[in-house]
Amino acid sequence: MSAPLPAALVPGRGGLAVRAGVTAYVVLLVAIPLAALAHRGLADGLTVFWAAATSPEALDAFALTLWTAGVVAFLNAIFGTATAWVLVRYRFRGRRLLSAVIDLPFAIPTLVTGLMLVLLFGPQEVLGQWLSAQGISILYSPPAIVLALLFITVPFVVRAVEPVLLELDPAEEEAAHTLGASDLSIFGNVILPAIAPAIALGTLQCFARAIAEFGSIVVVSGNIPSRTLTAPVLIFGEVEGGYPGSAAAVSLLLLSLALALSLGVRGLRSLRSKR
Amino acid sequence: MIAFADIRNAAFALSLTALAACGGETEASNQAGSPPPVRSLTLGAYTTPREVYGQKILPGFAKQWKEKTGEDVKFAESYLGSGAQSRAIIDGFEADVAALSLEPDITKIADAKLITRERKDAPNGGMVSRSVVVIGVRPGNPKNIRGWDDLTRKGVEVLTPNPKTSGGAMWNIVALYGAALRGGTRATAGDSAAAEAILAAVVRNVRIMDKGARESMLTFESGVGDAIITYENEALVARKAGKAMDYVIPTSTVLIENPVAVVDVYAEKHGNGDLAQAFVDYLSSPEAQRHYAEYGLRAVDESVAKETAGTYPPVKDLFTIRDLGGWPQVTKTLFDRGGVFERATSRKMVAAR
Amino acid sequence: MTSVALHAADGVVLAGRSPAPRSSWTLARAALLAVVIAYLGIVLLMPLAALVAKGIATGPLRIARELAAPEALFAFGQSLILAAIAVVLNGAFGVAGAIVLVRHRFVGRKILDAIVDLSLAISPVMTGLAFLLVFGRSGWLAPLGIKVAFALPGLVLCTLFVTLPYTLREVGYVLEEIGTDDEEAAATLGASAWQSFWRVTLPNVRYGLAVGLTLTAARALGEFGAVLVVGGAISGRTQTATTFIYAMSEERREAAAFGMAIALAVASMLLLAAVEKLKHRKGDR
Repeated sequence: MSAPLPAALVPGRGGLAVRAGVTAYVVLLVAIPLAALAHRGLADGLTVFWAAATSPEALDAFALTLWTAGVVAFLNAIFGTATAWVLVRYRFRGRRLLSAVIDLPFAIPTLVTGLMLVLLFGPQEVLGQWLSAQGISILYSPPAIVLALLFITVPFVVRAVEPVLLELDPAEEEAAHTLGASDLSIFGNVILPAIAPAIALGTLQCFARAIAEFGSIVVVSGNIPSRTLTAPVLIFGEVEGGYPGSAAAVSLLLLSLALALSLGVRGLRSLRSKR
Repeated sequence: MIAFADIRNAAFALSLTALAACGGETEASNQAGSPPPVRSLTLGAYTTPREVYGQKILPGFAKQWKEKTGEDVKFAESYLGSGAQSRAIIDGFEADVAALSLEPDITKIADAKLITRERKDAPNGGMVSRSVVVIGVRPGNPKNIRGWDDLTRKGVEVLTPNPKTSGGAMWNIVALYGAALRGGTRATAGDSAAAEAILAAVVRNVRIMDKGARESMLTFESGVGDAIITYENEALVARKAGKAMDYVIPTSTVLIENPVAVVDVYAEKHGNGDLAQAFVDYLSSPEAQRHYAEYGLRAVDESVAKETAGTYPPVKDLFTIRDLGGWPQVTKTLFDRGGVFERATSRKMVAAR
Repeated sequence: MTSVALHAADGVVLAGRSPAPRSSWTLARAALLAVVIAYLGIVLLMPLAALVAKGIATGPLRIARELAAPEALFAFGQSLILAAIAVVLNGAFGVAGAIVLVRHRFVGRKILDAIVDLSLAISPVMTGLAFLLVFGRSGWLAPLGIKVAFALPGLVLCTLFVTLPYTLREVGYVLEEIGTDDEEAAATLGASAWQSFWRVTLPNVRYGLAVGLTLTAARALGEFGAVLVVGGAISGRTQTATTFIYAMSEERREAAAFGMAIALAVASMLLLAAVEKLKHRKGDR
């Protein structure tokens, strides 16, 4: 990134007006509703907030949300990096198609993602029948949550790592090669350190997206309190059940986590920009 | 540069299409709004009777109203879980009429001062349809499920929706727990701890808690689970839709009563007070009652109930919510924070068994 | 968190430096490629294939008939309108916001930046709840008496919220990469700020903008949780394409449900395919 500019692009009053407009838009659209959420969560006092946010049902939902998101982030860190590697370093027929496929999750509404998984693994579908004959059940259990989240988060790591791989200076690798380093040690000592921040960025984004997911999970998970109910679905239940206070309390906890992740992403991104 | 021009053109074309679509909509609604008198009535309903409303009752009422007044009635319908619908109406969804699964959801709207009229004087206490909680099973009943106790057996997978979002699920839990309290299960009559244990044992067997009664039924139809706790009318509507569906009426179960009310604050605001009241009155007429019965609901109208008794066998021990102390009491002990249901679903309870 | 998705800038600036792909195919490389293809196949393509198979089994004609019904047209049209509004408003905001966040330096910039990202990390259900708390009957702004919840404005706000960062981020990446040399040159030549914006900055970020707008449109078309909570899925009023799918599957009208799912997927994929094409055209430049 270029050094901070002393003179803004649209200088003087015009620039200030644009800045004010942008700030106002964000405040009106995002900050005020979130403030209302925080206010509602805390309106009945800290004790009530804490009781709602740490009820057994809420804690189980958080645990499920976090571990499934963790598994998904981990899998995507590995396979996403491999995919980026293949896309950047290999030339093969169908590469462009593969690259286009990565963006599919951006095109498919999450509700549709859920429906697709039901069509795939439903007990009356071919694959679902075969799997259940093997004693494997996917739908309405944590594996279904993981699969739905994987679908949704595929692009994050790939798209974070890809540009950094493209940017790598080949000279270093060639030097290491000349010095007789094995491919594996080149990857471990030269490439991995260079792309690690990008992997971390993508993984974090993937995790953040995963803990917020609703549309697909509500379709494929069993939604049983303490067993297959994730935090966003729990919030939905509280909203619909007429407990906005407890919904807001659980939301607030999830919101804090999202904020922390969002700041983490920011940090990693500026790290990447500075390099 | 050329490329950019292309994008601009494409974007322009896209936005034109969208605008055209937009224009089309407004035009259509304008036309509908102006010349001959067309009145719009908004119905906020729960999900299970959507077919009977959509296919029979709304057209039937519109026809009658047209004959009577010459006005056309256009309906805007919303179907959500009963609790969700009640919440939406309280939060500002301006439905003229609320048709919900259970009385407390109407009470909540009244508590929000949106229903101001006393409802006790309404025919049948404001209830327009009835049903009973039943156990749906696979065709031929391969798991040999005869009653509530069988749902506690190991290896029997049960479906029931989440009572947080579904009035239907509240009825289901009430039916099961009430039956257990009344000696309709292996638990001793009157032993609330034993009744709670029965509930926990069934909950342990529950595989999916969908958002609403209909979703739960669809999941069952897709082949998941051995048994589903549901309404009799859900099972009958599924049959009507051509699904293979058997069900068992437990010896002891609850009588479901579904309330309808004019949300008078909104109705007056829309100038729909007369229309909404006429609609609600129509729901108690023999014609509408027959429609309900045709779609699996038991009629509240005595004569229609007699006509249709063949489809709706009597239940040995049919209890009402009043037998359990009324809704406020039941809500408190069963569904509030720390209540029986929450204890039954908590991990400790499930793990201990 | 964003769309890092399809950085428009990267190819242009960086493509020249990537090492020439080696042509030798070892067993290890083939195995890695196979793993990647298997992974994407299982995670992405298999579910998609299931939907397509269902569509074919249901019959394209039947689906077309269902989609031509007034209810379906209304829902799809409403989603298109929402997407168009999001594209216009968040497009304008995205460009202005990217300039402000990338090029301006002021107190609170980092907080603003984090809030923008936040809108993507928040569960749509929470978004819906938050808007209800502001605009619901007992919400903060209820005394103003504006009809937002359970009406089109509520759907618009939710859609704007969930699509807020896409354009901003995509344009932002480009602005970070290209710096301000061009604008400085334009200023030296006597261009006004406005002229410089229209003639220099906007053309420079056009690919990023196109990508951002596309992602915005795709995301707007697919939003479900927030519009369900705020809109209540009222037929003929607040029904959108996604809540229509939900309603139709409840009514056991599978052809309509899957038909709309396929229509949505196709519409969004066409948008993305256009972006994909842009990326390659730009790469050739």
